[in-house]
Amino acid sequence: MSDHNSQPDLLVVDNIHTYIGQFHILEGVSVRVPKGSITVMLGRNGAGKTTTLKSILGLTPPREGKVIFDGMEIQGKQAFNIANLGIGYVPEHRAIFRALSVMENLKLAERKKGDFERHSDFIFNLFPDLKRLYKLPGNHLSGGQQQMLAVARALVPDNKLLLIDEPSEGLAPILIQQMMEAIRVLSETTTILLVEQNFIMASQLAKRYTIIDDGKSVHEGMMEILVNDTELIHHYLGASIKTRKELEMEHEFQD
Amino acid sequence: MNSKTKKALTISITFLVVAVATFGLYKSAGQQAFIRTALSGLTLGSLFFMVAAGLTLIFGLMDVLNFAHGAMFMLGAYMGWQLYTNPTFIFGMLPALLAFATGVMVGPAIKPYLIRWEISEKWQKALPRLAYALAIVLFVLSFLKFDIMELAKTAMVAVTTTTVSNPLAEISPQEPLSLFWFRPVLLLLVGLLVAFAVSKPGDKNEFAPLDKPLQKLIFPAVLLVLTIIFTLVRESAAEAILLMNGNWRFVIAIIIAVAFGFLFGAVTEITLIRPLYVRTFFIVLMTLGLSFVIRELVQLLWDPLAYQMVRPPLFAQPGKAANLMEWLRNGNTTIDIYGVTFPTYRLFVIFLGIVMFIFVTLLMTKTRLGMIIRAGVQDPQMVEALGINVKRVFTFVFAMGIALAALGGIGAGPFLPIQPLMGDQYQMQGFITVVIGGMGSYVGAFVGAMILGMARAFGDYFALKFSLSPAIAEASTVIIMVIVLLARPQGLFGKKE
Repeated sequence: MSDHNSQPDLLVVDNIHTYIGQFHILEGVSVRVPKGSITVMLGRNGAGKTTTLKSILGLTPPREGKVIFDGMEIQGKQAFNIANLGIGYVPEHRAIFRALSVMENLKLAERKKGDFERHSDFIFNLFPDLKRLYKLPGNHLSGGQQQMLAVARALVPDNKLLLIDEPSEGLAPILIQQMMEAIRVLSETTTILLVEQNFIMASQLAKRYTIIDDGKSVHEGMMEILVNDTELIHHYLGASIKTRKELEMEHEFQD
Repeated sequence: MNSKTKKALTISITFLVVAVATFGLYKSAGQQAFIRTALSGLTLGSLFFMVAAGLTLIFGLMDVLNFAHGAMFMLGAYMGWQLYTNPTFIFGMLPALLAFATGVMVGPAIKPYLIRWEISEKWQKALPRLAYALAIVLFVLSFLKFDIMELAKTAMVAVTTTTVSNPLAEISPQEPLSLFWFRPVLLLLVGLLVAFAVSKPGDKNEFAPLDKPLQKLIFPAVLLVLTIIFTLVRESAAEAILLMNGNWRFVIAIIIAVAFGFLFGAVTEITLIRPLYVRTFFIVLMTLGLSFVIRELVQLLWDPLAYQMVRPPLFAQPGKAANLMEWLRNGNTTIDIYGVTFPTYRLFVIFLGIVMFIFVTLLMTKTRLGMIIRAGVQDPQMVEALGINVKRVFTFVFAMGIALAALGGIGAGPFLPIQPLMGDQYQMQGFITVVIGGMGSYVGAFVGAMILGMARAFGDYFALKFSLSPAIAEASTVIIMVIVLLARPQGLFGKKE
């Protein structure tokens, strides 16, 4: 782990421990997110990736360890204060507000008056579908549209960092492509910490990775090295995940 | 079947049922009885709505079953009645309350500086405790020899003796200013100490930006001015209000009851309920306990008697008005509606209920706050993750719910006996309304309240007509609840879990 980054770290999670009830969910997670690129958290289901995101935001505050955002210690602060520092959150399972219309969902995310007006062109360029669905209530949207709305909602205020939890979960392949493209466009202007089960998507987007296993961060480094390390992938992420290399081989075999 | 045709079908079936029920009742009761009973039903429904709206919003957003709602309904009636009949008590207490609020409101202005104070962890823990201890001592000192009972009894005296000719006859003198002034001053200090303690001096985890220090002082400054004004006019204000036109006095009574409910709700939420959100079940016990405490305090202050509030002049003139304009001009007790003699005050209660429903609807659908509440009902964590202070929204919704209950209380004041148990029946009906309408839905609360009100009124009517037991009317609410729960377990407007 001797890779040197030219960019300073926007977010540093330093050895945090988080409890939910009496359960010790995170037992020492450290993540570094350099400014201006995508960092991905990998790991099996239940490894603690979502809890890490929630701990950063203060939704499940860590009991030990530090979270440093933009040079400021934010652990222990209230979640809304942390979010107002400029962190956008796209939760898993597309937690959009079903009782609110698409427009209201977006308006609700405003932190300053007029946030939405300033960014609406950018958002509707990224997700043209949303413009058409503007007045529809959230529970009338399809899964993919809900996911787009969930991402769009995080783009309404000026955020320095986006925490995106499993954007491809349950989406059709064509929508995954669209979502990947959207996230890539976003990464040009903001920093992103991504949680993603879809290894192919993760490997194509992210520059750095951190592997979390059983509540601990066990490995980190550059994505381009990980994609060729089949053994590491199989050890921590399970045999079901196929690397690009394996997929290519399969592809050739079929031909 | 897609959702659109389903919706259309539901609406048409509902419409049909309502039409058939209305027609059936109309035919079997006859025009006069039908109109009279329907209006009574609407009156009851309006009162039920004011109780149920708060309950359902509070439950929907924060999963709190507020068993003190009925007690707060009763408290609203008492506060309004006090102001209307003899405001000595309210003006005697007001300067102290305002002084305390002034002190507490300084908190946001000093907090940014206090949390940046470099002190050791030991002092961080000790200082707030010291402040609280000192605050309690000062609080006790400030109310030493304060005859609160005497103050409270003035309105009772005013009721038992007729003072129509000279409303000032029963006003009792208050403490002279030379004796009184130290109470608000001490309470101002108590408020400042509390503000100091809740700011958590030296706590690095607290967050408060340093910007706009002067802007944060505007509100406490306004409160300070109000404190001084109300300290000076304690006695003359009471007299001025008693000499006022009764209708305006009633409007002020409503405003006082609602404002008191709002403040009381806000303080209750912040001090008693907020620490218990992690253990939701205890909130139920806490609110139940609170209802007993409120009831006993009221009995202590005003004795366990039932008072009759005098109706405002707009509803007091004997005789029947032929139409709306004549009533507004003469202020009759009753009005003629299609040949039915109906009390004008009840018409006012119906009006109040409908205005409140419109207000709640506009608040929920047109404002950002309503948007936050609707979103918070589904997922408060995500709302907080957007950067919104959900706790503050919780406080507001709780306070608003209690304010609505207090409005119901003062609204019911002129036609229900004012006594410590007056809210209990309405609380029960409110809970049933919430269950019928669907937890968390204000539209459901309105529809449920109207259904219950109608069932109650028509139940009473038919019980009388066929000489059945009046218990049928009371049972009707439960029967309706059972039917609704069997057909739609989530309530009429509830969302499926």
